[in-house]
Amino acid sequence: MVDMKKFKQNAPAIPILVWFGILVGIPLIFVVILSFLSRDELGNIVVRFTLDNYKRIFDPIYIKVFINSLFLATLTSFITMIIGYPVAYFTANLEKKKKALAILLIMLPFWISSLLRTYGWIILLGNTGLVNNLLIGFNIIDKPLSMMYKFSTILTGTAYMLIPFMIIAIYNSVDKLDRSLLEASYDLGAGKWKTFFKITLPLTIPGIAGGFTLVFIPSLGLFFISDLLGGGKNIFLGNLINSLITKGRNKPLAAAFSVGMIIMVLIVLFIYSRLVKRNTGGADENSII
Amino acid sequence: MKTQSYKLRTFYLSLFFVILYVPILSVVLYSFNKNPSTAQWTGFTLDWYRELFSDRIILESFKVSMIVAILTSIFSAILGTASAIIAIYVTKKMEKAINGLMLLPLLVPEVALGVSLLLFFSSMRLPFGYMTLVLSHSLFCVPYVYIMVQLRLKEIDNSIIEAAKDLGAARWQIIKTIILPLVFPSIITSSLLSLAMSLDDVVISTYMSGPTSTTLPVHVFSMMRVGVTPKVNALCTLILLGTFFIIGISEVFSKKNSKKEEEEVD
Amino acid sequence: MNMISKKIKVVLGLALMMVLVFALVGCGKNEGSKEINLMSWGGDFIPREVIDQFTEETGIKVNYKEVTSNEDTQSLLEANPDQYDLAVVTDYMVEILRLNGMLEVLDKDKLSNFSNINPVYQGNYYDANNEYAMPYAVSTAFLLVNPEGVEALGANPITSYADLWQEELKDNIVVIDWSVEIMGLVLKSLGYNYNETDPVKVAEAKEKLFQLSDNIMRFETNTPEDSLVNGEAVVGFMYSNQAVNGNAQDDKLVPVFPTEGMPIYIDAFVMSKDAPNKDNAYKFLNFLLQPEIAAQIADITDFITPNKAAEEYLTEDFKNNPMLNVSDDVMANTSFYIDVAAVLEEYEHIYSEFKMQ
Repeated sequence: MVDMKKFKQNAPAIPILVWFGILVGIPLIFVVILSFLSRDELGNIVVRFTLDNYKRIFDPIYIKVFINSLFLATLTSFITMIIGYPVAYFTANLEKKKKALAILLIMLPFWISSLLRTYGWIILLGNTGLVNNLLIGFNIIDKPLSMMYKFSTILTGTAYMLIPFMIIAIYNSVDKLDRSLLEASYDLGAGKWKTFFKITLPLTIPGIAGGFTLVFIPSLGLFFISDLLGGGKNIFLGNLINSLITKGRNKPLAAAFSVGMIIMVLIVLFIYSRLVKRNTGGADENSII
Repeated sequence: MKTQSYKLRTFYLSLFFVILYVPILSVVLYSFNKNPSTAQWTGFTLDWYRELFSDRIILESFKVSMIVAILTSIFSAILGTASAIIAIYVTKKMEKAINGLMLLPLLVPEVALGVSLLLFFSSMRLPFGYMTLVLSHSLFCVPYVYIMVQLRLKEIDNSIIEAAKDLGAARWQIIKTIILPLVFPSIITSSLLSLAMSLDDVVISTYMSGPTSTTLPVHVFSMMRVGVTPKVNALCTLILLGTFFIIGISEVFSKKNSKKEEEEVD
Repeated sequence: MNMISKKIKVVLGLALMMVLVFALVGCGKNEGSKEINLMSWGGDFIPREVIDQFTEETGIKVNYKEVTSNEDTQSLLEANPDQYDLAVVTDYMVEILRLNGMLEVLDKDKLSNFSNINPVYQGNYYDANNEYAMPYAVSTAFLLVNPEGVEALGANPITSYADLWQEELKDNIVVIDWSVEIMGLVLKSLGYNYNETDPVKVAEAKEKLFQLSDNIMRFETNTPEDSLVNGEAVVGFMYSNQAVNGNAQDDKLVPVFPTEGMPIYIDAFVMSKDAPNKDNAYKFLNFLLQPEIAAQIADITDFITPNKAAEEYLTEDFKNNPMLNVSDDVMANTSFYIDVAAVLEEYEHIYSEFKMQ
């Protein structure tokens, strides 16, 4: 009887489960299966069970790639959060019309192909780029500064590409904040900063968490930013998987790396959700992460 | 004191927007560059715009991209919002399951997803074209709609819904009169986001497009091999201008509307 | 309540309609009609004006699917062999596709112009019996050098791969971003062959490769010539069409054909075994084989044409360009990357280690 009730309650979810189960589930299962298969010399997949691909992931070089990617993704998430939070917060506090305009302006860059936006950075930072030309033109420097092909260039590009996700997610929760709570806090004599840290920040943690998810995961998979801005000198998971498929003709190994990456993300998200839960006293048990 | 903090806020926001738009403005600037590569500025020209309009491949692929993006964003908005709303009615366990499921497409690396979808769809004998593009794009767009709408839903006071229930409102009525209006802004922002993400996708589209449905990013990406010409910059400049134009128009309309509303209230 | 359920019906109806639209649009391909589907590199690799001319003459529409790697072409072709008629792939991929049984033997009776192709480019390793491939574009890879820049750094003039190891060239070299190319370069500088499998020689090459690390400022496959044009680098190891482009932008940049020899690539047309429009595809290939057309293509794409008969139609600029009209002694010193598959995995690993050190 109880089960029947539960089933009835859950019935509307069935189409979603089926839809995603088929469109994501099957490809995902396929990736997992592929990661246990071998390949022949030509790069064709051979149906023969092997653990070799997983053994190879643990090669010290590849471990380094994992760490490298984790480092970039974490750093990107924090940078976008630190820069993006005030943007989201200030935007949410703008008057209605300006607010809509600001949100539009934050979203608009998405309309320009990310490849071209990356080229935009090359135009800016390159040896004969705008910044160098400007600095030389004003006699501030006499030799072009080399700003390209560094880890910091990749970081800048990645953070630039993903920051709108962070801002929009945080904005969504700041915007819905109950103003009366803040006013109550002021009335009780709490200062601006105290109110912010005691009330605003904890209440917007779901937004930050959402933003973190939306930035952290894609930053692991982006590949052309590090190729174009980093001069191909660093290897990240996204590049590695990409080049294993498009150059290395090793789909099973690429699949194993994909599985490794998924597990890594899940672990990070799990740790992260624990942290969030501790900070919000478990109030956010059912958020997306 | 208050004005000082206001100034500081304005300054911060302005600075942020400047940095956000400087790379884009450089793209715009270089659409007027005589030199076909980004390596140097060699003089002003409008040639790329002329070439753009005679390049039927770019225009065609842009059309394909727009169709795919619009269908994807409508489809994702419906599916994502429906999922988010369903998720508040089901049991906690089921909600968690849906949450997890929504995260999956974002977790799988794009290339891996692209290749496995290629094999999956071709084994189903699906024709590669608009359908496969929209299906695959909606995979990574629905989660964004879902997350955004859910974030908004979380903020809705449960007591409102409970009160409505006590008053005997049916589920559909609650959804229609309370939930949908509340999450509407999120639906709009997230479908705009879906539109943009679909317009920007390269990797999955490479595997999902058929011989007659090359999307703009796939075309641009394949141009990289021989150098992306400022023609593409020119197209992006026009897209940007077009978007500003649309925003301008909607701004005018919303002004009219808000005036009307004010009059009605009076 | 009634109104709401009406709304739901409308929504459902819309959703259903959308599904139908997808299905219709998706199935919109007309079978056996006057069209061909081909897959190749983007940009102007197969110039649009040439395609347009073909369509005008024959009424056959050409659908051009653009890809960025041989491996993507392979994945797409193997997933849907009946969706594509023709593909352009690089020599080694012809071999792989042929061994995988994906390719149609070209019917030379339907390619009356096939004899225009220079015998040098026929019957190479990937297609020894000259059955499956129609060579379309030939390219090489060599060094593009800024001699003034090299001198300014105090380095000796560059004539060979071995010269790249000079300490003075620190952070001044840009190279193609592919393990096989870079390992090949190092092996050649040691006097070995490409695709060396002997572990001792490979280990030696690995050690030598690591010594090059400080000199490389950028790995770039698509537009390495930009780094020389904007002065970031003084030497670049790149494909011939990129070098031609770099030289055209700045004539200070000169080609250096390394004394150790250089790699050569043949991009060739192949036909899918399950091609839906074979006759149209033959017409297209035969069209491309015409001397005037081949010359026009070479001129636009900056690739060496394998079409012997086309040579007299080439522009003077093209003929006088040493990178495009390669002298025989330089051409004699080129070699293919044969049997990449056997060494690929090892090379990729070394290459990753090299980048991550």
